[in-house]
Amino acid sequence: MRFWNFTGRAGQAVVMPDQSYTYMDLEEAVEQRKWKFNENNKQLVLILCKNNYDVLVTYLAALQSSQAVMLLSVEMDRKLLKGIIDTYKPKWIYGSINMGEYESAGEALWIRSVPVSANIHPDLAVLLSTSGTTGSRKFVRLSYDNIQSNAESIVEYLHLDAVERGVLNLPISYSYGLSIINSHLAAGATVLLTDESIMAKSFWPFFQEQKATSFAGVPFTYQMLQRIGFFKMNLPHLRSYTQAGGRLDERLVKMFGEYAADHDKRFYVMYGQTEASPRMSYIPPDRLLEKTGSIGVPIPGGSFEIDRETEELIYKGSNVMMGYAECLEDLRKGDELHGVLHTGDTAMVDEDGFYTITGRIKRFVKLFGLRVNLDEVEKRLESELQAAVACTGTDDWLIVAVESEEAKRVVQSCLDSVYKLHKSAFRIHVMESIPRTSNGKTDYAAIKDGFK
Amino acid sequence: MNTQKLKSVFAEALDIEESFITDELTYNSIAEWDSVAHMALVAEIDDQFDIMLDTDDVLDLSSFSKAKEILTKYDIAFD
Repeated sequence: MRFWNFTGRAGQAVVMPDQSYTYMDLEEAVEQRKWKFNENNKQLVLILCKNNYDVLVTYLAALQSSQAVMLLSVEMDRKLLKGIIDTYKPKWIYGSINMGEYESAGEALWIRSVPVSANIHPDLAVLLSTSGTTGSRKFVRLSYDNIQSNAESIVEYLHLDAVERGVLNLPISYSYGLSIINSHLAAGATVLLTDESIMAKSFWPFFQEQKATSFAGVPFTYQMLQRIGFFKMNLPHLRSYTQAGGRLDERLVKMFGEYAADHDKRFYVMYGQTEASPRMSYIPPDRLLEKTGSIGVPIPGGSFEIDRETEELIYKGSNVMMGYAECLEDLRKGDELHGVLHTGDTAMVDEDGFYTITGRIKRFVKLFGLRVNLDEVEKRLESELQAAVACTGTDDWLIVAVESEEAKRVVQSCLDSVYKLHKSAFRIHVMESIPRTSNGKTDYAAIKDGFK
Repeated sequence: MNTQKLKSVFAEALDIEESFITDELTYNSIAEWDSVAHMALVAEIDDQFDIMLDTDDVLDLSSFSKAKEILTKYDIAFD
Protein backbone atom coordinates (compact mmCIF):
# COMPACT_ATOMS: atom_id res chain seq x y z
CA MET A 1 0.00 0.00 0.00
CA ARG A 2 1.25 3.47 -0.89
CA PHE A 3 1.72 5.75 2.11
CA TRP A 4 -0.65 8.37 0.68
CA ASN A 5 -3.50 5.85 0.73
CA PHE A 6 -4.51 4.97 4.27
CA THR A 7 -8.07 3.75 4.06
CA GLY A 8 -9.19 1.91 7.15
CA ARG A 9 -6.44 3.21 9.41
CA ALA A 10 -7.29 4.22 12.94
CA GLY A 11 -5.51 6.40 15.45
CA GLN A 12 -4.14 9.91 15.44
CA ALA A 13 -2.47 11.06 12.23
CA VAL A 14 -1.58 14.68 12.92
CA VAL A 15 -1.38 16.71 16.10
CA MET A 16 -0.95 20.48 16.10
CA PRO A 17 -0.66 22.59 19.25
CA ASP A 18 -4.34 23.53 19.08
CA GLN A 19 -5.96 20.51 17.44
CA SER A 20 -5.52 16.87 16.53
CA TYR A 21 -6.74 14.79 13.62
CA THR A 22 -7.28 11.06 13.23
CA TYR A 23 -6.49 9.08 10.10
CA MET A 24 -10.24 9.08 9.40
CA ASP A 25 -10.36 12.88 9.62
CA LEU A 26 -7.38 13.06 7.30
CA GLU A 27 -8.92 10.68 4.80
CA GLU A 28 -12.11 12.72 4.70
CA ALA A 29 -10.29 16.02 4.30
CA VAL A 30 -8.12 14.63 1.51
CA GLU A 31 -11.20 13.23 -0.22
CA GLN A 32 -12.78 16.71 -0.12
CA ARG A 33 -9.66 18.47 -1.32
CA LYS A 34 -9.31 16.04 -4.23
CA TRP A 35 -12.41 17.53 -5.83
CA LYS A 36 -10.35 20.64 -6.46
CA PHE A 37 -7.87 18.64 -8.49
CA ASN A 38 -10.48 17.12 -10.73
CA GLU A 39 -8.66 17.21 -14.03
CA ASN A 40 -8.04 14.45 -16.53
CA ASN A 41 -4.67 15.60 -17.78
CA LYS A 42 -1.89 15.47 -15.26
CA GLN A 43 -1.13 18.97 -13.99
CA LEU A 44 1.26 20.71 -11.61
CA VAL A 45 0.24 21.86 -8.11
CA LEU A 46 2.50 24.32 -6.31
CA ILE A 47 2.18 24.26 -2.52
CA LEU A 48 3.62 27.11 -0.49
CA CYS A 49 4.38 25.16 2.65
CA LYS A 50 3.99 25.89 6.33
CA ASN A 51 3.95 23.12 8.86
CA ASN A 52 0.21 22.75 9.20
CA TYR A 53 -2.57 20.26 8.63
CA ASP A 54 -4.06 21.95 5.59
CA VAL A 55 -0.76 21.87 3.70
CA LEU A 56 -0.47 18.17 4.46
CA VAL A 57 -4.03 17.55 3.24
CA THR A 58 -3.30 19.38 -0.01
CA TYR A 59 -0.06 17.45 -0.54
CA LEU A 60 -1.81 14.10 -0.02
CA ALA A 61 -4.78 15.09 -2.21
CA ALA A 62 -2.35 15.96 -5.02
CA LEU A 63 -0.58 12.60 -4.65
CA GLN A 64 -3.84 10.66 -4.53
CA SER A 65 -5.19 12.37 -7.63
CA SER A 66 -1.90 11.76 -9.49
CA GLN A 67 -1.08 15.42 -9.98
CA ALA A 68 2.58 16.46 -9.75
CA VAL A 69 3.40 18.54 -6.64
CA MET A 70 6.04 21.22 -6.28
CA LEU A 71 6.83 22.13 -2.67
CA LEU A 72 8.31 25.50 -1.72
CA SER A 73 8.55 27.40 1.53
CA VAL A 74 5.85 30.01 2.10
CA GLU A 75 8.63 32.31 3.31
CA MET A 76 10.34 32.37 -0.03
CA ASP A 77 11.08 35.80 -1.45
CA ARG A 78 8.13 36.84 -3.65
CA LYS A 79 10.25 38.00 -6.56
CA LEU A 80 12.13 34.71 -6.69
CA LEU A 81 8.84 32.86 -6.34
CA LYS A 82 7.40 34.74 -9.29
CA GLY A 83 10.36 33.62 -11.39
CA ILE A 84 9.62 30.00 -10.53
CA ILE A 85 5.89 30.38 -11.21
CA ASP A 86 6.62 32.01 -14.58
CA THR A 87 8.93 29.12 -15.45
CA TYR A 88 6.73 26.19 -14.43
CA LYS A 89 3.25 27.73 -14.81
CA PRO A 90 1.51 25.51 -12.21
CA LYS A 91 -2.19 24.95 -12.79
CA TRP A 92 -2.94 25.32 -9.07
CA ILE A 93 -1.21 27.20 -6.30
CA TYR A 94 -1.91 26.64 -2.63
CA GLY A 95 -1.09 29.63 -0.44
CA SER A 96 -1.68 33.33 -0.54
CA ILE A 97 -0.49 34.87 -3.77
CA ASN A 98 -1.44 37.90 -5.71
CA MET A 99 -0.75 37.31 -9.36
CA GLY A 100 -2.71 38.37 -12.40
CA GLU A 101 -2.67 34.95 -14.01
CA TYR A 102 -4.42 33.29 -11.08
CA GLU A 103 -7.92 33.47 -9.66
CA SER A 104 -9.24 32.16 -6.38
CA ALA A 105 -10.56 28.61 -6.32
CA GLY A 106 -11.53 28.77 -2.65
CA GLU A 107 -9.83 27.31 0.44
CA ALA A 108 -6.50 29.06 -0.18
CA LEU A 109 -6.24 27.51 -3.64
CA TRP A 110 -5.60 29.52 -6.77
CA ILE A 111 -6.17 28.34 -10.30
CA ARG A 112 -4.43 29.55 -13.41
CA SER A 113 -6.87 31.43 -15.59
CA VAL A 114 -4.81 31.14 -18.75
CA PRO A 115 -4.64 27.46 -19.67
CA VAL A 116 -1.22 25.86 -20.15
CA SER A 117 -0.69 22.69 -22.11
CA ALA A 118 1.47 20.83 -19.66
CA ASN A 119 2.89 17.50 -20.62
CA ILE A 120 3.91 15.82 -17.40
CA HIS A 121 5.44 12.37 -17.14
CA PRO A 122 3.01 9.95 -15.45
CA ASP A 123 5.66 8.81 -12.93
CA LEU A 124 6.46 12.34 -11.67
CA ALA A 125 5.22 12.78 -8.09
CA VAL A 126 7.17 15.55 -6.35
CA LEU A 127 9.43 18.44 -7.32
CA LEU A 128 11.81 19.67 -4.63
CA SER A 129 14.13 22.64 -4.88
CA THR A 130 17.85 21.92 -4.96
CA SER A 131 18.69 25.09 -3.10
CA GLY A 132 16.09 25.83 -0.47
CA THR A 133 15.24 29.50 -0.60
CA THR A 134 17.72 31.01 -3.03
CA GLY A 135 15.17 30.79 -5.82
CA SER A 136 17.02 28.46 -8.14
CA ARG A 137 14.77 27.14 -10.86
CA LYS A 138 16.47 23.78 -10.71
CA PHE A 139 14.33 21.07 -9.15
CA VAL A 140 14.76 17.42 -8.29
CA ARG A 141 12.19 15.17 -9.97
CA LEU A 142 10.99 12.38 -7.68
CA SER A 143 8.72 9.54 -8.78
CA TYR A 144 5.99 7.77 -6.83
CA ASP A 145 8.31 4.77 -6.49
CA ASN A 146 11.15 7.01 -5.24
CA ILE A 147 9.21 8.46 -2.32
CA GLN A 148 7.44 5.21 -1.48
CA SER A 149 10.62 3.12 -1.41
CA ASN A 150 12.52 5.66 0.68
CA ALA A 151 9.62 5.90 3.15
CA GLU A 152 9.61 2.09 3.51
CA SER A 153 13.38 1.93 4.08
CA ILE A 154 13.18 4.64 6.71
CA VAL A 155 10.35 2.86 8.53
CA GLU A 156 12.46 -0.28 8.57
CA TYR A 157 15.76 1.08 9.90
CA LEU A 158 14.22 3.59 12.32
CA HIS A 159 11.79 0.89 13.54
CA LEU A 160 8.84 3.23 13.14
CA ASP A 161 5.50 1.83 14.25
CA ALA A 162 1.95 3.00 14.93
CA VAL A 163 2.82 4.23 18.44
CA GLU A 164 5.57 6.51 17.16
CA ARG A 165 4.85 10.19 17.85
CA GLY A 166 7.47 12.15 15.94
CA VAL A 167 7.81 15.91 16.25
CA LEU A 168 8.31 17.66 12.96
CA ASN A 169 9.47 21.26 12.96
CA LEU A 170 11.68 21.00 9.87
CA PRO A 171 9.96 22.50 6.82
CA ILE A 172 7.78 20.12 4.77
CA SER A 173 9.30 21.65 1.63
CA TYR A 174 12.72 20.40 2.75
CA SER A 175 13.50 16.81 1.71
CA TYR A 176 14.39 15.75 5.29
CA GLY A 177 11.14 17.20 6.64
CA LEU A 178 9.10 15.63 3.86
CA SER A 179 10.70 12.21 4.44
CA ILE A 180 9.52 12.35 8.06
CA ILE A 181 5.93 12.98 6.95
CA ASN A 182 6.14 10.20 4.37
CA SER A 183 7.70 7.59 6.64
CA HIS A 184 5.35 8.33 9.55
CA LEU A 185 2.31 7.94 7.31
CA ALA A 186 3.76 4.70 5.96
CA ALA A 187 4.05 3.40 9.52
CA GLY A 188 0.59 4.60 10.57
CA ALA A 189 2.33 6.77 13.16
CA THR A 190 1.45 10.23 14.50
CA VAL A 191 3.15 13.42 13.32
CA LEU A 192 3.36 16.23 15.86
CA LEU A 193 3.42 19.20 13.54
CA THR A 194 4.71 22.66 14.45
CA ASP A 195 6.62 25.59 12.98
CA GLU A 196 8.23 26.44 16.31
CA SER A 197 11.97 26.23 16.73
CA ILE A 198 13.33 24.33 19.72
CA MET A 199 14.42 27.79 20.87
CA ALA A 200 10.81 28.88 21.26
CA LYS A 201 9.42 28.50 24.73
CA SER A 202 6.13 27.04 23.50
CA PHE A 203 7.91 24.19 21.71
CA TRP A 204 8.72 22.23 24.87
CA PRO A 205 5.26 22.12 26.51
CA PHE A 206 3.93 20.83 23.15
CA PHE A 207 6.72 18.25 23.05
CA GLN A 208 6.04 17.06 26.62
CA GLU A 209 2.24 17.18 26.66
CA GLN A 210 2.04 15.30 23.38
CA LYS A 211 4.49 12.68 24.65
CA ALA A 212 6.82 12.98 21.67
CA THR A 213 8.78 9.78 21.04
CA SER A 214 11.20 11.23 18.47
CA PHE A 215 12.49 14.39 16.86
CA ALA A 216 14.71 15.28 13.92
CA GLY A 217 17.39 17.91 13.60
CA VAL A 218 20.06 19.38 11.38
CA PRO A 219 23.52 20.09 12.84
CA PHE A 220 22.42 23.53 14.07
CA THR A 221 19.52 21.95 16.00
CA TYR A 222 22.01 19.85 17.95
CA GLN A 223 24.21 22.86 18.67
CA MET A 224 21.14 24.65 20.06
CA LEU A 225 20.03 21.61 22.04
CA GLN A 226 23.40 21.36 23.67
CA ARG A 227 23.31 25.05 24.60
CA ILE A 228 19.80 24.99 26.05
CA GLY A 229 20.67 22.09 28.29
CA PHE A 230 19.12 19.10 26.52
CA PHE A 231 21.13 16.70 28.67
CA LYS A 232 19.46 17.98 31.82
CA MET A 233 15.92 17.70 30.50
CA ASN A 234 13.65 14.95 31.64
CA LEU A 235 12.15 13.43 28.49
CA PRO A 236 10.68 10.07 29.54
CA HIS A 237 8.70 9.44 26.35
CA LEU A 238 11.53 10.15 23.96
CA ARG A 239 12.78 6.97 22.26
CA SER A 240 14.97 8.22 19.44
CA TYR A 241 16.32 11.25 17.60
CA THR A 242 17.79 11.61 14.13
CA GLN A 243 20.33 13.93 12.54
CA ALA A 244 20.89 14.74 8.87
CA GLY A 245 21.36 17.79 6.68
CA GLY A 246 25.12 18.07 6.92
CA ARG A 247 28.03 16.93 8.96
CA LEU A 248 27.61 17.14 12.72
CA ASP A 249 30.71 17.95 14.75
CA GLU A 250 32.16 14.68 16.11
CA ARG A 251 32.22 16.06 19.64
CA LEU A 252 28.43 16.57 19.47
CA VAL A 253 27.89 13.16 17.88
CA LYS A 254 29.70 11.67 20.87
CA MET A 255 27.80 13.73 23.45
CA PHE A 256 24.38 12.92 22.00
CA GLY A 257 25.43 9.31 21.38
CA GLU A 258 26.55 8.84 24.97
CA TYR A 259 23.39 10.45 26.28
CA ALA A 260 21.35 8.03 24.16
CA ALA A 261 23.35 5.04 25.35
CA ASP A 262 22.96 6.07 29.00
CA HIS A 263 19.24 6.81 28.76
CA ASP A 264 18.06 3.86 26.70
CA LYS A 265 17.41 5.97 23.61
CA ARG A 266 18.60 5.64 20.01
CA PHE A 267 20.52 8.33 18.13
CA TYR A 268 20.64 8.01 14.34
CA VAL A 269 23.26 9.92 12.38
CA MET A 270 22.25 9.82 8.73
CA TYR A 271 23.40 10.85 5.26
CA GLY A 272 21.38 11.77 2.21
CA GLN A 273 20.71 14.20 -0.59
CA THR A 274 17.45 15.52 -2.00
CA GLU A 275 18.43 13.66 -5.19
CA ALA A 276 17.93 10.37 -3.27
CA SER A 277 14.48 11.25 -1.82
CA PRO A 278 16.69 11.83 0.40
CA ARG A 279 18.05 9.03 2.60
CA MET A 280 21.07 6.94 1.57
CA SER A 281 22.77 5.75 4.74
CA TYR A 282 22.68 5.75 8.54
CA ILE A 283 24.80 4.57 11.45
CA PRO A 284 22.99 1.83 13.37
CA PRO A 285 22.67 3.39 16.87
CA ASP A 286 24.45 0.53 18.65
CA ARG A 287 27.54 1.17 16.48
CA LEU A 288 27.45 4.97 16.71
CA LEU A 289 30.11 5.53 19.36
CA GLU A 290 32.47 3.15 17.63
CA LYS A 291 31.82 4.58 14.14
CA THR A 292 31.64 8.30 14.92
CA GLY A 293 32.66 10.36 11.92
CA SER A 294 31.33 7.88 9.38
CA ILE A 295 28.06 8.08 7.43
CA GLY A 296 27.32 4.46 8.32
CA VAL A 297 25.90 1.78 6.06
CA PRO A 298 23.44 1.97 3.14
CA ILE A 299 19.75 1.99 4.02
CA PRO A 300 17.73 -1.20 3.39
CA GLY A 301 17.40 -1.68 -0.37
CA GLY A 302 20.30 0.62 -1.21
CA SER A 303 23.99 0.07 -1.89
CA PHE A 304 27.18 2.09 -2.19
CA GLU A 305 30.11 1.78 -4.53
CA ILE A 306 33.29 3.80 -4.66
CA ASP A 307 34.56 4.75 -8.10
CA ARG A 308 38.04 3.33 -8.35
CA GLU A 309 39.46 6.19 -10.32
CA THR A 310 37.85 9.23 -8.72
CA GLU A 311 36.93 7.82 -5.28
CA GLU A 312 33.47 9.24 -5.82
CA LEU A 313 30.72 7.70 -3.71
CA ILE A 314 28.05 6.23 -5.94
CA TYR A 315 24.66 5.21 -4.55
CA LYS A 316 22.29 2.69 -6.10
CA GLY A 317 18.70 2.23 -5.07
CA SER A 318 15.09 2.69 -6.12
CA ASN A 319 14.97 6.05 -4.30
CA VAL A 320 17.33 7.76 -6.77
CA MET A 321 15.53 10.64 -8.51
CA MET A 322 14.35 10.56 -12.11
CA GLY A 323 16.61 13.55 -12.85
CA TYR A 324 16.60 17.33 -12.64
CA ALA A 325 14.15 19.82 -14.11
CA GLU A 326 15.14 23.32 -15.11
CA CYS A 327 12.08 24.26 -17.14
CA LEU A 328 8.49 23.23 -17.78
CA GLU A 329 9.45 21.06 -20.74
CA ASP A 330 11.68 18.94 -18.49
CA LEU A 331 8.60 17.67 -16.62
CA ARG A 332 7.80 15.36 -19.51
CA LYS A 333 11.09 13.50 -19.10
CA GLY A 334 11.17 9.99 -17.67
CA ASP A 335 13.81 8.35 -15.51
CA GLU A 336 17.26 9.44 -16.64
CA LEU A 337 19.40 8.06 -13.83
CA HIS A 338 18.12 4.47 -13.62
CA GLY A 339 18.75 4.16 -9.92
CA VAL A 340 22.39 5.34 -9.96
CA LEU A 341 23.38 8.55 -8.21
CA HIS A 342 26.83 10.12 -8.39
CA THR A 343 26.91 11.89 -5.04
CA GLY A 344 29.80 14.25 -5.80
CA ASP A 345 31.32 13.27 -2.46
CA THR A 346 34.45 11.18 -2.20
CA ALA A 347 34.49 8.39 0.36
CA MET A 348 36.29 5.42 1.79
CA VAL A 349 34.94 2.26 3.33
CA ASP A 350 36.26 0.34 6.33
CA GLU A 351 36.48 -3.42 6.89
CA ASP A 352 33.03 -3.44 8.53
CA GLY A 353 31.38 -1.80 5.53
CA PHE A 354 31.00 1.65 7.11
CA TYR A 355 31.54 4.59 4.77
CA THR A 356 33.25 7.88 5.57
CA ILE A 357 33.10 11.03 3.45
CA THR A 358 36.59 12.28 2.66
CA GLY A 359 35.75 15.36 0.61
CA ARG A 360 34.06 16.68 -2.47
CA ILE A 361 34.97 15.19 -5.79
CA LYS A 362 37.92 16.82 -7.45
CA ARG A 363 37.27 18.92 -10.44
CA PHE A 364 38.68 17.26 -13.53
CA VAL A 365 38.72 17.84 -17.25
CA LYS A 366 39.86 15.34 -19.79
CA LEU A 367 42.23 16.73 -22.39
CA PHE A 368 43.26 14.31 -25.06
CA GLY A 369 42.30 11.48 -22.75
CA LEU A 370 44.40 12.98 -19.99
CA ARG A 371 42.75 13.72 -16.66
CA VAL A 372 43.67 17.19 -15.49
CA ASN A 373 42.90 18.14 -11.92
CA LEU A 374 41.66 21.71 -12.11
CA ASP A 375 42.33 22.53 -8.45
CA GLU A 376 45.90 21.35 -8.81
CA VAL A 377 46.54 23.40 -11.94
CA GLU A 378 44.93 26.41 -10.32
CA LYS A 379 47.16 26.18 -7.25
CA ARG A 380 50.25 25.76 -9.38
CA LEU A 381 49.43 28.78 -11.55
CA GLU A 382 48.61 30.83 -8.50
CA SER A 383 52.02 30.23 -6.97
CA GLU A 384 53.63 31.02 -10.31
CA LEU A 385 51.67 34.26 -10.74
CA GLN A 386 51.22 35.41 -7.16
CA ALA A 387 47.88 36.75 -8.38
CA ALA A 388 44.29 35.64 -8.69
CA VAL A 389 43.64 32.94 -11.25
CA ALA A 390 40.81 30.48 -11.81
CA CYS A 391 40.69 27.26 -13.81
CA THR A 392 37.67 25.59 -15.23
CA GLY A 393 37.04 23.66 -18.40
CA THR A 394 34.91 21.77 -20.83
CA ASP A 395 35.61 18.43 -22.42
CA ASP A 396 37.59 20.22 -25.09
CA TRP A 397 39.49 22.97 -23.33
CA LEU A 398 41.06 23.98 -20.12
CA ILE A 399 39.80 27.50 -19.42
CA VAL A 400 41.92 29.85 -17.36
CA ALA A 401 40.78 33.26 -16.16
CA VAL A 402 43.35 35.89 -15.19
CA GLU A 403 43.22 39.60 -14.48
CA SER A 404 45.97 41.05 -16.70
CA GLU A 405 47.71 40.61 -20.04
CA GLU A 406 50.94 40.07 -18.19
CA ALA A 407 49.39 37.19 -16.24
CA LYS A 408 48.13 35.71 -19.46
CA ARG A 409 51.68 35.48 -20.81
CA VAL A 410 52.93 33.78 -17.64
CA VAL A 411 50.10 31.26 -17.71
CA GLN A 412 50.72 30.56 -21.36
CA SER A 413 54.35 29.71 -20.87
CA CYS A 414 53.66 27.74 -17.69
CA LEU A 415 50.99 25.55 -19.31
CA ASP A 416 53.33 25.00 -22.18
CA SER A 417 56.48 24.23 -20.22
CA VAL A 418 55.13 22.59 -17.06
CA TYR A 419 52.06 20.78 -18.33
CA LYS A 420 53.19 20.37 -21.92
CA LEU A 421 49.78 21.42 -23.04
CA HIS A 422 49.34 22.24 -26.66
CA LYS A 423 47.89 25.68 -27.17
CA SER A 424 44.80 24.21 -28.80
CA ALA A 425 43.96 22.55 -25.46
CA PHE A 426 43.49 25.72 -23.46
CA ARG A 427 41.95 29.16 -23.60
CA ILE A 428 43.02 32.07 -21.46
CA HIS A 429 40.59 34.79 -20.55
CA VAL A 430 41.65 38.21 -19.37
CA MET A 431 38.88 39.51 -17.12
CA GLU A 432 38.63 42.74 -15.18
CA SER A 433 38.17 40.66 -12.06
CA ILE A 434 37.53 36.99 -11.50
CA PRO A 435 33.81 36.54 -10.82
CA ARG A 436 32.78 35.46 -7.33
CA THR A 437 29.52 34.11 -5.98
CA SER A 438 27.75 35.96 -3.17
CA ASN A 439 29.55 33.86 -0.56
CA GLY A 440 32.93 34.75 -1.98
CA LYS A 441 33.73 31.54 -3.84
CA THR A 442 35.04 31.61 -7.38
CA ASP A 443 32.12 31.51 -9.77
CA TYR A 444 33.38 28.88 -12.23
CA ALA A 445 30.03 28.68 -14.01
CA ALA A 446 30.18 32.40 -14.84
CA ILE A 447 33.70 32.03 -16.19
CA LYS A 448 32.59 29.17 -18.38
CA ASP A 449 29.49 31.07 -19.52
CA GLY A 450 31.48 34.18 -20.31
CA PHE A 451 33.59 32.11 -22.59
CA LYS A 452 30.79 30.71 -24.73
CA MET B 1 24.95 51.55 31.87
CA ASN B 2 23.96 47.91 31.67
CA THR B 3 20.92 48.86 29.62
CA GLN B 4 23.21 50.41 27.04
CA LYS B 5 25.51 47.40 27.18
CA LEU B 6 22.62 45.01 26.63
CA LYS B 7 21.40 47.18 23.77
CA SER B 8 24.69 46.89 21.96
CA VAL B 9 24.73 43.14 22.60
CA PHE B 10 21.30 42.89 20.95
CA ALA B 11 22.31 45.15 18.07
CA GLU B 12 25.43 43.08 17.47
CA ALA B 13 23.78 39.65 17.69
CA LEU B 14 20.67 40.52 15.70
CA ASP B 15 22.54 42.77 13.31
CA ILE B 16 20.08 45.64 13.64
CA GLU B 17 20.32 49.35 14.52
CA GLU B 18 20.25 50.16 18.21
CA SER B 19 17.38 52.54 17.60
CA PHE B 20 15.13 49.55 16.80
CA ILE B 21 15.71 48.06 20.21
CA THR B 22 12.91 48.88 22.60
CA ASP B 23 11.39 46.99 25.51
CA GLU B 24 8.71 45.72 23.15
CA LEU B 25 11.10 44.04 20.71
CA THR B 26 10.20 40.33 20.79
CA TYR B 27 11.56 37.04 19.44
CA ASN B 28 10.29 36.17 15.95
CA SER B 29 8.63 39.60 15.58
CA ILE B 30 11.32 40.64 13.14
CA ALA B 31 13.08 38.52 10.54
CA GLU B 32 16.44 39.30 12.14
CA TRP B 33 15.51 37.67 15.45
CA ASP B 34 15.12 34.04 14.42
CA SER B 35 16.51 30.95 16.11
CA VAL B 36 19.94 31.38 14.55
CA ALA B 37 20.19 34.94 15.84
CA HIS B 38 18.83 33.82 19.19
CA MET B 39 21.75 31.41 19.58
CA ALA B 40 24.15 34.23 18.77
CA LEU B 41 22.35 36.51 21.20
CA VAL B 42 22.57 34.00 24.04
CA ALA B 43 26.27 33.42 23.36
CA GLU B 44 26.90 37.17 23.29
CA ILE B 45 25.04 37.75 26.56
CA ASP B 46 26.99 34.92 28.21
CA ASP B 47 30.24 36.44 26.99
CA GLN B 48 29.62 40.09 27.69
CA PHE B 49 28.08 39.64 31.15
CA ASP B 50 30.26 36.68 32.05
CA ILE B 51 27.38 34.40 33.02
CA MET B 52 25.88 31.12 31.77
CA LEU B 53 22.14 31.36 31.18
CA ASP B 54 20.04 28.38 32.30
CA THR B 55 17.80 26.40 29.93
CA ASP B 56 14.63 28.09 31.15
CA ASP B 57 16.17 31.51 30.82
CA VAL B 58 17.41 30.85 27.28
CA LEU B 59 13.89 29.91 26.26
CA ASP B 60 12.27 32.67 28.33
CA LEU B 61 14.39 35.39 26.84
CA SER B 62 11.69 36.40 24.40
CA SER B 63 11.90 40.21 24.48
CA PHE B 64 14.30 42.99 25.36
CA SER B 65 12.47 43.78 28.58
CA LYS B 66 12.39 40.08 29.49
CA ALA B 67 16.14 39.94 28.94
CA LYS B 68 16.65 42.69 31.54
CA GLU B 69 14.37 40.89 33.98
CA ILE B 70 16.27 37.63 33.53
CA LEU B 71 19.69 39.23 33.88
CA THR B 72 18.61 40.78 37.17
CA LYS B 73 18.52 37.22 38.56
CA TYR B 74 22.20 36.97 37.71
CA ASP B 75 22.94 40.06 39.81
CA ILE B 76 23.11 42.43 36.90
CA ALA B 77 21.37 45.67 37.75
CA PHE B 78 19.42 47.87 35.35
CA ASP B 79 18.42 51.44 36.12
